Amino acid sequence: MPVRPSRRTVLAAGLAWPLATACSGPGGDAPRGATRITFWSALRGSQQVVDAFNRSQNRIQVVFRQIPSGDQGGYAKLSNAVRAGNAPDVATIEYPQVPGFAIDGVARDITDLVGDRLRAKLLPQALRLTTFAGRVFTVPLDVEPMVLHYRTDLFARHGSGPPRTWDEFTAVARKVRDDRSRLVAFATDGATQFAAVSWQAGAQWFDTAGGAWNVSLADAATRRVAGYWQGLIDEGLVFANGVQGRQGDAQIGQGLVLARLSGAWDAGAQMKARPGQKGKWAIAPLPQWDPAQPAVGTHGGSTFAVTRDSAHPEAAMEFIEWQVSHPDALRARLSSGTSSQYPAAPDLVEVGRKAFDRRYYGGQDIYRLFETEALKIRDGWTWGPRMSATQRVLQDGFARASAGQGTLLDAVRDAQRATMPDLLALGLATTERSS
Amino acid sequence: MTTTLARPESASRTPAPRVRTRHRQGTACAVLMAPFFVLLVVVFLVPAGTALWLSFFGADEPGLGFGPEHTIFVGFRSYAAVLADPTFLGGLGVVALYCLLYLPLLVVTSLGLALLLDSGVARLRGSARLALFLPHAVPGIIAAIIWLYLYLPGLSPVVDLFGKAGITVDFLGIHTVIPSMVNIALWSNLGYNVVVFYAALQAVPREVIEAAVVDGAGGVRTALRIKTPLIRASIVMVVLFTLIWSLQLFTEPMLLSQATPMITARFSPSMYIYDAAFTRNNYGLAAAASVILLMCTIALSYGVTRWTNRTREAAQ
Repeated sequence: MPVRPSRRTVLAAGLAWPLATACSGPGGDAPRGATRITFWSALRGSQQVVDAFNRSQNRIQVVFRQIPSGDQGGYAKLSNAVRAGNAPDVATIEYPQVPGFAIDGVARDITDLVGDRLRAKLLPQALRLTTFAGRVFTVPLDVEPMVLHYRTDLFARHGSGPPRTWDEFTAVARKVRDDRSRLVAFATDGATQFAAVSWQAGAQWFDTAGGAWNVSLADAATRRVAGYWQGLIDEGLVFANGVQGRQGDAQIGQGLVLARLSGAWDAGAQMKARPGQKGKWAIAPLPQWDPAQPAVGTHGGSTFAVTRDSAHPEAAMEFIEWQVSHPDALRARLSSGTSSQYPAAPDLVEVGRKAFDRRYYGGQDIYRLFETEALKIRDGWTWGPRMSATQRVLQDGFARASAGQGTLLDAVRDAQRATMPDLLALGLATTERSS
Repeated sequence: MTTTLARPESASRTPAPRVRTRHRQGTACAVLMAPFFVLLVVVFLVPAGTALWLSFFGADEPGLGFGPEHTIFVGFRSYAAVLADPTFLGGLGVVALYCLLYLPLLVVTSLGLALLLDSGVARLRGSARLALFLPHAVPGIIAAIIWLYLYLPGLSPVVDLFGKAGITVDFLGIHTVIPSMVNIALWSNLGYNVVVFYAALQAVPREVIEAAVVDGAGGVRTALRIKTPLIRASIVMVVLFTLIWSLQLFTEPMLLSQATPMITARFSPSMYIYDAAFTRNNYGLAAAASVILLMCTIALSYGVTRWTNRTREAAQ
């Protein structure tokens, strides 16, 4: 039957591709005697940062390779490279995947390499997200509090301002709804968005107390958040669809969706993707459950790891420290185009504010807003050991819920049920709560 | 084959030919069968053995998992994890449903077409056979791409046409993805199975058919009561092969999953294994799931063979 060979061909191609790209040797010529390290990232502007670093000194020569983003094959490439023994010295890992790569031994324990000077430069909440059982595994580059991006012109047409609480959010959703448009789209492909709003409400999906992974996806706070969004969906106040494809693009592009809940970085992405909507957007703090005790979760953000087999961990660490804390690094990254990355080193915020072109957001000082929001990031959140898989099952459930089968809470419970076997097979100590 | 080659030589020359002939036969046997055994070992036994080993051993770190790794024997832990995973069991359910739809449809349709071709009712037999067989020459992944194009709203002329008639169809909806995949498989494999059945029908002795006609059986009756029981062995073979092929459902859902969220990353057992190994980096889990799938396949094949043997004996 012809299906079998073709299946093998696909697999073979899939397996060969990372090998083929990983085997081709790095280019560029290093100055004599310099330590040569390699760096992989999917982040835009990384080449500019690497060039700036190589110009700034002559002891370390960084060779950069742009790789696909994590879910597009970047993470698989990294895992395979480590297994094959040809991993880069420095790799880029997003927050949710840090524990997984730490457990797999891809990210090296760098506790002893992270000096007090670097620690002092970083936002403590950000560093705690990459610290497990007292050991540091990666260094945060940016930390992205979730904010409300909204269309000022369309809000004004309905006589609305940005909602400050989730009750107001519902009220605004009722007010602005018409036969074509809605306030927001609930992202059925956005497990990280859902995680961020649950995080804000006080959810604790994972924690590592007592030397075990305590899993509790459907805790009280998450149930509240799931119920809230289910209500909005059932009442027809929000769309429920994938936001990363064409449909989501069209909804924003045609003004069918008036607002978006995402990390601070999304401002830059918006500027790049839709230059025609210049001056129509503003950013507001995320609506709160209790304005007296404001909190937010984060959505997005990257960290840097030194890989297990790196021959030059000190040099790798020096490069990482420069990347996350030196003003020239941020300037180089921002020079590549439009970015609104919120640095995890608070000293760099001023650099970002100056470099950012405010005209798109009608002169709004969005970095000032991010600064106040970053301080509200609820401390104590921990990502799980197989977060990509957990998120994917969650999204599968969201998609089914949007097609009328099951609810958002069912999706959360299914995600927990499908996560436990993974952890069990990895030999981790686990406990389950509130399923 | 070897005996016919060796005989004339041994008869004409050596006085004590027996031992040497047997020796030569043994060598010829070994040479001719070596490729088979080499391939069996390299592409089946070694991978299966590796999977078995992976499923019973794990690189463990105690507690939270951040410490140094040690490879230890973990017993049936990975198996317990797979069997406790609702997504794996869901995948088995999907495949069961797929088989339930696909198997009868494929067997009945291809048998019907083969009988039609054989009966002489159909004109242009040669071209009909070619037309039916042609899709089978299209590799599965290409077939899936073609059908994906026909299923996707916004791209598909079919969906467009229905839309103009005021009918909204969603071929990739929550209840339609499995029938849509059955359709792709049917399109690909129908012709092949028609040819298998048609070839078997050619071997049915003409006297038997003539006797049936003389006894007054019509065309339909001859087809159903005489010809079909006589090609029973082919039917069993087709059922068996299709069953094994269906259990490994992978290409079509993998490709369609790009276009619809209704096909999850762990939609079928094969996709579960792929996902466990390559996106979850959980090789123990993937290996255990592979072994379980292999066991299921062996058990089902054995069951089908036993069941058909028993019914045949009962019939006789």
